[in-house]
Amino acid sequence: MKTTVPTSPTDQLEVDQDIISRVLAGNRDAFSILINRYSDPLYRHALGMTGSPDVAEDILQMSFIKVYQHLAEVRGRFDAWVFRIVANGCKDWLKNIRRTHLSYDEDDQPSGYSTPDEELDRTELRSDLDRALMTLAPSLREAFVMKHVEGRSYEEMADLLGTTVGALKMRVHRAREALQALLEEKYA
Amino acid sequence: MLDNLNARDDGGDAGRERPRRASEQSQPLSDREVPISSSGTATSEMINSWLDGDAPEPVAVNAESARQIDLWRRIEQESERRRHLVTPAHVKAQIMAALPADLPQVALPWWKKSIQVSPVVALAAAAGLVALGAAIGTSVRIR
Repeated sequence: MKTTVPTSPTDQLEVDQDIISRVLAGNRDAFSILINRYSDPLYRHALGMTGSPDVAEDILQMSFIKVYQHLAEVRGRFDAWVFRIVANGCKDWLKNIRRTHLSYDEDDQPSGYSTPDEELDRTELRSDLDRALMTLAPSLREAFVMKHVEGRSYEEMADLLGTTVGALKMRVHRAREALQALLEEKYA
Repeated sequence: MLDNLNARDDGGDAGRERPRRASEQSQPLSDREVPISSSGTATSEMINSWLDGDAPEPVAVNAESARQIDLWRRIEQESERRRHLVTPAHVKAQIMAALPADLPQVALPWWKKSIQVSPVVALAAAAGLVALGAAIGTSVRIR
């Protein structure tokens, strides 16, 4: 079951409220519509923040269970609320973990590169980028992931994180500066 | 009285400003909030504008900037790939299977919530109220 997310925020709010009402009225299966609507960007966020598909899946699962348990408390935008739950889950995990190396599962995604050299180069960049991202402060990593990996606008980021566009631009620029310093010796 | 928040107006320096360097004059003020290191490894404003979608891909002016642009082009390719990642199908099923059996509780204000009281507690509360009423009645009669 795949539901198209409406473009208008008002429409989106109304659709979400309708689904939430159905769940609260006892239609448990309607919750899967909410999962389908929002899991992909949330999964990308968790994956970008943690660097581990397994951890991202766990955070997503725990977050949606929390969402279900507190669904009656939703006030305002559901997407912003659920994003905050996932983002906090990622930050909590980062606080508690110390890792030496994590990388994406290479077999998960199809490759668009043709030659083995290009594929090898790309795989190397992928893991180096992950390692470099893990060295960033969580706030810088969060800003970089939201901008580059999730493709959000600064306005959308400011809305979700409750901060200003200027502050987020500064975080993204600082993250880029740090990543470039870490990667350019090898790649530039 | 309002606090004077403009420090430049203090100390007899009103109206005087440090002359701006040529490099500063060419920069928009808003971009100065981004710390730029002097090591030569800093992300240039042009690259940031490009990556922010505010400007087209910059033309490399030297070998170093060409390498930086190439690096960011490759990082962008990788970011683009990640932008299309989707939640593995089994995760959605796992979430649905892990949901608690109880329906989420509708949050009611306290005055709408029902209370369950056992007969013993109800009798004790009634006795307490009677005693309180008697005590108040007695004190009023005494006055």
